Amino acid sequence: MHGIGRVPDEVGHLILSEDGAVIASGGELENAEQMANTVLCMLTRINKGQLWPGDSGDAFKKISITYTDHSYVICLSNKNIHIVKRRFVPHEPIKV
Amino acid sequence: MEGAHSTGVSGVLCADHKGLCLGVRGKASNASSGTVAALAERVAMLEPGSLDPVILLESDNSQCLIHRNSGITLAVYKSPETS
Repeated sequence: MHGIGRVPDEVGHLILSEDGAVIASGGELENAEQMANTVLCMLTRINKGQLWPGDSGDAFKKISITYTDHSYVICLSNKNIHIVKRRFVPHEPIKV
Repeated sequence: MEGAHSTGVSGVLCADHKGLCLGVRGKASNASSGTVAALAERVAMLEPGSLDPVILLESDNSQCLIHRNSGITLAVYKSPETS
């Protein structure tokens, strides 16, 4: 097992190799090839493009894509790309 | 561009749907406008029926938030030294 499943509120996971091949998937991301392609395109774009001002070469460690009630979190670990889909229920702001 | 003066914000960039830089403030480069717009465009294809999400890129020392709305993509750069 890849240790995925211990992420709170996780509803799906996807693990890709460096070249984009699906190593493991589950939940709502099972066989999610479009997600895999999109993430790979994103990472390629980030690596090739000048996203950060100057030439600091700041490498991004984590990418979050947040929608209204769920989010995708992408990170690199052990030369694999880990993607987790998490649900969340936005809390109402506390009125003081 | 008023957000450029908010605490923690080191730079702000606006791009149109074709990646043209509409404006830049602080520690942001107009050379990033194409990448920012392309990222937002690509991510929007993930869930075509949903509102465009907020993209957060985090490194050890900085963050970049990207959001597209009505064809305009905004990138906000944050770093600890400006907190």
